Amino acid sequence: MITFLLTHGLQYAGYGLEAGLFAFLLWRGGWKRELALWLYVSSLLTVDFGLRWWVLSRYGERSHIYYYFYYVSDALLTLGAFGLVCSFFRRVLAKEERLWAICRLTLPLVFCLTLALSSIALFWHYKDLFTRFVFSFQQSLYFACLVLNTLLYIVIQQVDSADEEVGLLVCGLGIQLAGTAAGYALISMTRNTNLAIRQLLNYISPLCFVGMLLIWFCAVARPPRAATSCALDKKQRFPAPA
Amino acid sequence: MFMAVFILVFSTALFLFYLQATCQKILRRRFDQEFFHSIVNANRLEFPFVRRALEEYNDVPVDYARFRMQLKCDFLALTYLLKNAANARQRLTRQEHLLVMYFRALFVVLGAFHLLGWGEKTPILKMTSILEYFANVLGERVNTIRFGNISASDYLMSL
Repeated sequence: MITFLLTHGLQYAGYGLEAGLFAFLLWRGGWKRELALWLYVSSLLTVDFGLRWWVLSRYGERSHIYYYFYYVSDALLTLGAFGLVCSFFRRVLAKEERLWAICRLTLPLVFCLTLALSSIALFWHYKDLFTRFVFSFQQSLYFACLVLNTLLYIVIQQVDSADEEVGLLVCGLGIQLAGTAAGYALISMTRNTNLAIRQLLNYISPLCFVGMLLIWFCAVARPPRAATSCALDKKQRFPAPA
Repeated sequence: MFMAVFILVFSTALFLFYLQATCQKILRRRFDQEFFHSIVNANRLEFPFVRRALEEYNDVPVDYARFRMQLKCDFLALTYLLKNAANARQRLTRQEHLLVMYFRALFVVLGAFHLLGWGEKTPILKMTSILEYFANVLGERVNTIRFGNISASDYLMSL
């Protein structure tokens, strides 16, 4: 019962935060400034609320189709995260023409290479996706994104960017990628034979996802220079003495 | 197998690194002025003296038991005040919750460093920076509210 509540609670907390962040960016007009982030959150919403829901209700949780769809869509979303990291590179290196010239060439190459290798690996093993292949595939894909994200973090430190928002966004994404990659690696290590570890991944992955969305909320909600932590509203403040 | 072990170790290390980096980014926030002085004086907090002792007297051994107790007392006082002083919601914000967890983790790390004899200076300095942030937030909050010449009951009635 507790397991059920925990897994479902985390899952729905993630959905709620996803929808909240999407609405917040739309409401505040931040989607124009954070177009890549907004597109990524939109794709998360579309997959979680729309496509997966539809496949689940049509074919059922235990069907092969849902299983295939879940992991293929997860791989596509990870590639989306890869694209998001690339957009952060552009944002951080906006004033560093020399560095951006290098990244402009290498990032699409790395992206295409990852996309090609992922597609080939999926194509070869599409028939035996139910084996432990899917976990080692996801582990490698998440890890590749994590490495790129960490490179971006190092670049932010080197450039000494004043953009605090992108720093927090990168940290949030890093937590999600690192936690999930570690979870998949743990399953790959045990050759997908340990049920307890698979159960553990059911907690780790949504927990990291919720953590990422909370940090993103903090990043986009705080004003450019400094956040105001004061909890009191204007109406609760007292007028200055005459 | 080797690849999985490598990714597990590296990812776990990076996970902890990103958690710490997030906390450090929150702590890096600049305040309009140093609000923490008034809070320190009013509540007789001791963390600035702990920090000064560590920064100015490098060669003197760390008084672990005393510093630990001082930081713990300051932490309890500040978290209580953050929740209850000039806070209509009577609860911590998400960022403050994260920093509270970070402080507690550092408290465990401090104990481990002491046991292993690795030197306690680094975790203590990080803990003082968290306390300074809390005191700054509290000071800023108190500074924002203009009490004027109202009485305590007027203030409470308006909440």
